[in-house]
Amino acid sequence: MARLVVLGGGVAGHTTATFAAKWLGSQHEVVVVTPNAKWNWIPSNIWVGVGQMTKEEVTFDLAPVYAKAGITYHQAKAVSINPEGKEDSDKPFVTIEYTSADKAGQTETIEYDYLVNATGPKLNFGATPGLGEGSQLGEHTVSVCTADHAVHASEKLQEAIEKMKAGTRQKFLIGTGHGMCTCQGAAFEYIFNIEHELKKAGVREMADIKWISNESFLGDFGMGGLHMKVGGYVVSSKLFAESLFAERDVEWMIGAHVSKVDAGKIEYELLDGTTGEEEFDFAMLIPPFAGVGLKAYNKAGEDITDTVFAPNGFMKVDANYNAGAYENWKASDWPRTYQNPTYKNMFAAGIAFAPPHIISKPMSSPNGTPINPTPPRTGMPSGIIGKAVAHSVCDLMTKGEDAKLHEASMAEMGAACVASAGKGIFNGTAAAMTVYPVVPDFEKYPGTGRDTDYTFGEIGLAGHWIKHILHHLFIYKAKLNPGWTLIPE
Amino acid sequence: MVKEIIQYPTPLSVKYATDVRIFDEELFSLIDDLKDTIKENNLDGLAAFQIGNYFNVIVVKDDNGELIEMINPRLIAHSDKVTTEEKTAYYPNHSAKIQRYNKISVVYQDRNGKDCSMQATGKMAIVIQRKIDYTFGATFIQKMSKEEKEKFEAQLEGGIDVGYDEYCPTTFKRDYVLKGINIALIVMLLPVIASFFVDNTQLLEKMWNYQLYGSFVVMGMTIGYFFYGQYEGKIYTSCTSCQIGNIIGTCVIALIKLTLIMIASYFFINPS
Repeated sequence: MARLVVLGGGVAGHTTATFAAKWLGSQHEVVVVTPNAKWNWIPSNIWVGVGQMTKEEVTFDLAPVYAKAGITYHQAKAVSINPEGKEDSDKPFVTIEYTSADKAGQTETIEYDYLVNATGPKLNFGATPGLGEGSQLGEHTVSVCTADHAVHASEKLQEAIEKMKAGTRQKFLIGTGHGMCTCQGAAFEYIFNIEHELKKAGVREMADIKWISNESFLGDFGMGGLHMKVGGYVVSSKLFAESLFAERDVEWMIGAHVSKVDAGKIEYELLDGTTGEEEFDFAMLIPPFAGVGLKAYNKAGEDITDTVFAPNGFMKVDANYNAGAYENWKASDWPRTYQNPTYKNMFAAGIAFAPPHIISKPMSSPNGTPINPTPPRTGMPSGIIGKAVAHSVCDLMTKGEDAKLHEASMAEMGAACVASAGKGIFNGTAAAMTVYPVVPDFEKYPGTGRDTDYTFGEIGLAGHWIKHILHHLFIYKAKLNPGWTLIPE
Repeated sequence: MVKEIIQYPTPLSVKYATDVRIFDEELFSLIDDLKDTIKENNLDGLAAFQIGNYFNVIVVKDDNGELIEMINPRLIAHSDKVTTEEKTAYYPNHSAKIQRYNKISVVYQDRNGKDCSMQATGKMAIVIQRKIDYTFGATFIQKMSKEEKEKFEAQLEGGIDVGYDEYCPTTFKRDYVLKGINIALIVMLLPVIASFFVDNTQLLEKMWNYQLYGSFVVMGMTIGYFFYGQYEGKIYTSCTSCQIGNIIGTCVIALIKLTLIMIASYFFINPS
């Protein structure tokens, strides 16, 4: 019996573990190590953050689901990897530290035959002084990155609404809290959901809402923007986004690196090198992502973290990390199998893999501050990659080391995204977009690098219904309810 | 070389622009063409898009009449909202009121790929905004208010959509089938209402048979709608994938209506 250890239980890790457990049956063991007791459907945190859903509606307990699937579950965080084993054993292992209340702080080692790193990101609030989620990390801004953060954001939003009802004007600042952030889409959803809720509460006239982001144009979304077919016309996501901002009377500032957050005020630097300050009463600024800080050691116990991980903490995979300047970037730079080049029994899936470079055009200020979105690897791509990795590992375990690996390059993969702009059965709105491929392939599709026949978008009530249906569908799937394998990633 | 500026009603030959990644002779030649064309036509600025090239390049005249080359321009900050009366070379004899910003900050690259920035105000700021819009695939129509757009369209003989051979129709042929289904359902509803006033068992028997035949017809039409809808969806590839969702949803709704009518018919009409 061989053992697969999956680090992380988010979209990628959960997908990998559950499919692997299904395909491997009782012949082999699947182990999941994740610090969380609950699974969180992160896209719906936006609705928790505006008080339209509860934390319970977007989360569920992992233990019974893993018990049902026959997966061994450790509520713990991975601390280090020893891919060569130790002095007296060649068996590779991971060291974990429990986070569950009964074993908190205890460490343990788990040997593995195959390892999938799907730890997701560390929410790197510390990259910008003062940035946080309302706790000790930073008391001035809120976050919707986790369900708990979103609950707190919702409470702060309610306080702001009460102040407006009492006649005090409020300034809302939503966007990205650092020049190297990703996940602009989440902030985009949040700003329009806030606008929608303020309108519903009858206080929209008392609010000034402003967007701040590290994109060099509105609608970049970390993918270099997209040109989508809307009703037969090719429309840039820039114009699509600008129209929405104008229609909802939301001001915007882009190409911005937030350098510091103080009480009611941020300091920023723009791509043109100018600096400034922006005041706020309520701010939700997405933090940059980094690797979770896993260490790696060789057989002799020497630190080989640099061999296994890129400087940003994400795991190296079969990508071309020497692509060089922007003009040399190719679709083929992107990984296909997500296998670590040094240790072939290790894979990375979802946010945990180190991308070869960003997708958007690299930009920096005259002061040398990089200000550009980093590549999104969440949602649909995460699930697809997780499933492909599960396939590969299962084949390696059942067919032998020469089994052909499954591929899921982001440069050959389409993705669908439904961005909510307000929740409501009859007055909700969401922008439904598909993009193909996620990473532009300039050789195959000269021009924008994408196939406009498969890149389209539409905004309206139907999009909201789709978003709501997807919420229930993906939670149903993640709970491994009957027919879960039929639901696509 | 002076290039021909694409003008309405000829559709813009490229639909979107893309960032310049390689700074070479091809780019320099394009910039020279833009400059020559601006001088020849005494324009304030020109986007490569307007002469049929899909690179994200614009050339604008500054306040001293000097031509500024901007490659991959991005408008990153703005202030001072104004409404201007604008003209553009694509619609040479028309003007429209457009909302712009009087002060802007723009970052771009020069012909050597060096990052540059500029704060522009007034007329030059307006021209830069209009030209950047072109590089993202828009004429100034996309920046008009709904009312201004309607007014502007009325001035254009062929309308705004001229030249687009591929479009998403507002009504599909399958909608006629849907209309037929709805009419059939209304016709099936009548016997249900009539049954409250009929006591004759023989007549009720006939009405029940009529409902059964009717239900087969509606089911057949719904199946026909589904498959024809799929076929039509493939013809209009420019329409979104929501088509499939709409077709499935419409079929489900029609079948739910039919089911409800047949349940009511079973209880109120069926004499046996």
